[in-house]
Amino acid sequence: MAIEGVKAKEQGKVYVGNLDETAKRAKQLLIGRLKLGKAVDWATSFSLWPVHLTTSCCGCEFAAAWSPRFDGEQFGALPWVGPRQTNLIIIEGTVTRKMACAVKVTWDQMPAPKFAIAMGACALDGGIFYNSYNIVRPWEIIPIDVYIPGCPPRPESVARAIVDLQRSIRSKGIASKWVEEGVRPDKPLVAPKQDVCSWWRG
Amino acid sequence: MVEGLRFMKLSEEMVRVVIEKVKKELGDLVKSVEEGKGYISIKVPLNRLREAAVKLKNMGFDHVKSLTVTDYKKKGVFEVMYMASSYLDEELSRIIVSLTVEIDRNNPRMPSLSDIWTSVEFQEREVYEFFGIHFEGHPDLRPLLLVPDIADLKPLTKDFIVKEEPIFKS
Repeated sequence: MAIEGVKAKEQGKVYVGNLDETAKRAKQLLIGRLKLGKAVDWATSFSLWPVHLTTSCCGCEFAAAWSPRFDGEQFGALPWVGPRQTNLIIIEGTVTRKMACAVKVTWDQMPAPKFAIAMGACALDGGIFYNSYNIVRPWEIIPIDVYIPGCPPRPESVARAIVDLQRSIRSKGIASKWVEEGVRPDKPLVAPKQDVCSWWRG
Repeated sequence: MVEGLRFMKLSEEMVRVVIEKVKKELGDLVKSVEEGKGYISIKVPLNRLREAAVKLKNMGFDHVKSLTVTDYKKKGVFEVMYMASSYLDEELSRIIVSLTVEIDRNNPRMPSLSDIWTSVEFQEREVYEFFGIHFEGHPDLRPLLLVPDIADLKPLTKDFIVKEEPIFKS
């Protein structure tokens, strides 16, 4: 396959790309045509940082999604350590009554343009624990953007969910319109009906 | 293969020796005995449970592997089993001795063994939250895994009814 602007005798070698051309195009894209808000959405959608909060067994698939084979980092997301430096929660599987408090506290600590993905059948509607006395549906505590069905879902579907979330951030302009901490532009934030941390405060 | 079989036979004989030793040690405390393969369940009266536990501890049974409760709703009793074994004594580590007591289901109270075997402390807390059995003399009797308001429901007793969706209905 011939690359544009490359001499015939140099073909077959590995090139990074035509950097001058790419820089010119990026300049047109970012400065020439786009509004600042769109740039904010674009930047946010490619810097999603899921927090390390493994609630259940889907965490294994979550970890595999960032392994060399599936390489989740190519989509612009990388699991990071603390809630203060992250803006995405991926809830992996069942949330027990005690873990619900941890989810809520972590969500409250994250800075404002923040998103949530619910992963696995248990996070959707209980899964095999549908009649258990000790679980909480995650959509009762925090607002969920994307649901991933499956028991457990494949790592590819985690990547798909992240790409879906990026698309919705760009198309709805969620990040740029989210100026106030507690007011989300496209939908209301969930206020939990039950106090999930009552056991902790004593 | 033959070597393995000979070893099995030998160890079975050894187990029998240990079981006889345990029975002899406990003596008149034993109410009834059930035997399995490498396992012996000794039923003792509730008021002499601590005495039997001290005797087993002095023999060399240094830890409790598990603490199990069975709920017999029709009989009106909880059957509590302490399964003790040994790490340090090689001869005793071949078997598991279970101390079994029956307690009243409506007033579930029994003495704690956590000062004799330290390893039962967390297991007694777990039994407390799932069955509501009060262990008298326990140093820190709080629910271990469950939220307090769920622990009040005693979710592993037969009284707690789990909601189920009718899947096949004729």
